Amino acid sequence: MRIALRELRRQPGRFVTATIILTLIAVLLMFLGSLLDGLLRNATGAIRAQDGEVLVYSPDAGASFARSRIDPEVRTAVEGVDGVAEVGGIGLVQLGARVPGAGPRDLAGVALFGVEIPPRGVDELPATGEAYADEVLRADGVEIGTELLLGPARSPITVVGFVSDTAFAGQGGLWTTTDTWRAVVDENRPDARVADGVVQALLVRADDGIGSGDLAGAIDAASDGRTESFTLDDAIAAIPGVEEQEGTFNQIIGVTIAVAVVVIALFFALLTVERTSLYGVLKALGARSTTLFSGLVVQAVVVTAIAAAIAGVLVVVLDLVIPPGSLPLTVTAGRIAVSTVLLLVAAVVGCGFSLRRILKIDPASAIGSSS
Amino acid sequence: MFLAIREMHRAKVRFGLLIAAIALLVFLILFQQSLQNGLLTSFVGGIRNQSAPVLVYAVDGQRVIQGSVITPELEAQIRDLPEVDGVGRINQGTFSIRTDDGELIDASVFGYEDETLGAPTTIVEGRLPAGSAEGVASSADADLGFAVGQVVTVLPGGYTIEIVGLASEAQLNAGPTVYVDAATYGDVVVAGNPDAGEPLPNVLGLRPADGVSEADLVAAVNAISDDLDALTRSDAADLTPGVAQVQQSFQIIFALYAIVVPCVTGLFFLIVTFQKTRALTLLRALGAPPGRLVRSLLFQALLIVAGGYLIGTLLYYPVSQLRLGGIALQFETTAVIGWAVALVVLGLASSLVAARRVLRIDPIDATTGQGVGS
Repeated sequence: MRIALRELRRQPGRFVTATIILTLIAVLLMFLGSLLDGLLRNATGAIRAQDGEVLVYSPDAGASFARSRIDPEVRTAVEGVDGVAEVGGIGLVQLGARVPGAGPRDLAGVALFGVEIPPRGVDELPATGEAYADEVLRADGVEIGTELLLGPARSPITVVGFVSDTAFAGQGGLWTTTDTWRAVVDENRPDARVADGVVQALLVRADDGIGSGDLAGAIDAASDGRTESFTLDDAIAAIPGVEEQEGTFNQIIGVTIAVAVVVIALFFALLTVERTSLYGVLKALGARSTTLFSGLVVQAVVVTAIAAAIAGVLVVVLDLVIPPGSLPLTVTAGRIAVSTVLLLVAAVVGCGFSLRRILKIDPASAIGSSS
Repeated sequence: MFLAIREMHRAKVRFGLLIAAIALLVFLILFQQSLQNGLLTSFVGGIRNQSAPVLVYAVDGQRVIQGSVITPELEAQIRDLPEVDGVGRINQGTFSIRTDDGELIDASVFGYEDETLGAPTTIVEGRLPAGSAEGVASSADADLGFAVGQVVTVLPGGYTIEIVGLASEAQLNAGPTVYVDAATYGDVVVAGNPDAGEPLPNVLGLRPADGVSEADLVAAVNAISDDLDALTRSDAADLTPGVAQVQQSFQIIFALYAIVVPCVTGLFFLIVTFQKTRALTLLRALGAPPGRLVRSLLFQALLIVAGGYLIGTLLYYPVSQLRLGGIALQFETTAVIGWAVALVVLGLASSLVAARRVLRIDPIDATTGQGVGS
């Protein structure tokens, strides 16, 4: 192993080509992963921010806020279920918001949530006509005190604070009361108007010791088929496109890892061919095949680690350079770490292609061929 | 060429690994090409392939049909424009639809007032709706319960629509889309939400007057009010939120792949050329012209890239017939040909670095032992 590390230090040029290509593959891997993370974050933040255990929709709404309606009678039934500690209504309307100082056609896309139980990050619900805004809206020039004008009716909403990671369907969340939400819908979406007391969904908090899955089932049983309840994780998975996006991207990432395995196998197979005589001499001196193979693995791991480190820096720079809002990229340390681990595993697997050649090296014939 | 093929035959593992790497990369490129095109078509195919040449959104809708609402005052101003020959109201909403099989699917319902301003233009089976409770569905979703003759139920409310026609590349929002007349759309909304008022139009479809171009009509409408956002049909599709993001994301991915493939090929041949320098020097000393050695190298590069491309395309073909969620993939012949040309050119170009090394070999090194070792 010392010889392997010494070779890396003394002849780094030999490994530059593999490092460059692995860096490109690592950038691809991290970019794909960050794109997936960004898409999921933008689509699901509002649900992940809910401070409860179960979301209740009307049946056949397909877990869509816009297509769900919960009337007061159904809500009463839900509140009466054993294990339910608290119930809060939720309503959503997606509109364009005019930000002071922006051009007449430069609108910010917002998802206005009317809630009774505030999301995580909001201590207390704001007053009527006020809202907490998602951090992403800062890129549109929104600040505390900004009065946004929502929709064609220019419904005024004043921002009184910020929360993070509460986006929904790619739009920044605005968190207000159900009264404010209902008024905005009445003014801007007459075809989506709902009667007093009607909300689109319910957030349910469970009593201590009650599992969210069990509670969701109990609510649907008690409502006699008038509800469809989800744990928060299930509600996220039910958002159209989320599971498909995750599945597709993970398959692409998997095949990219396979490409990394093949590229590593290729380059170390080439290097092994070049060093057949050297390995023959080492074997003649008593080196075991496992020692030689371990040296190869160490070299592959070091080269891959360097490539992953460079790629991590490049992806972070790419994230800084890309204008906010142009690509749904979320670069996290976790994603970079996972990609690095996958590449290191690929490095070890790729080296396996050279193991057979190393085992077959005969010291006598290898030394003879070099003279 | 004889030596080139013999060399590949003797080093099957190395050349095989290179072909495998290129095949996997080609598969990824072509699959993602299908994914990009399928995504874009499933999002905005319905906009590209409807009959209104100009669409007018409310600025508040941010170029999303469902998010736009045209007020009566603005509609009246548009109708009064001399540049306008025809105006048709268009509505679109997302609903839960139950098919004959009992499946519950998210789908878009698209209502148009005037067949010439909003109806799908790519009918491949059946006909346009002739009255209430009839609809044309996107052909990509026929197998999901939207075939001609089938009846779908819109929930909540239970309003039923009979599918009387299919239109190709007519999806919206990456899901099944059903086109109905305006009266049917209004009935669907009221059935689901009895508290709803009469739906205002989401978008207006316009036809320019004789002698007026689409661009002139767009400018005239936008001059009425900053609350209006008129676009030609193609601009409406291209500027739908998310389309540019999808295209930019895939462009970065394709650019990275386009760099990786020639890098892998070129650097492989550079390393192999270094490894066989002695043999090449001997061949030069024996009289082999440098051009022959270079042609042999380029021949190997061509075989590798072509072989990898063929295998990658064969892997891609069955995948291109699949459906990913609401997105129907298809075999992108133009992309296959385009990428084949690009990768062959890039692969051969990257091998020129190794070819340059071959050309620099001096046969005299064979006599001094420099090229062949002592």
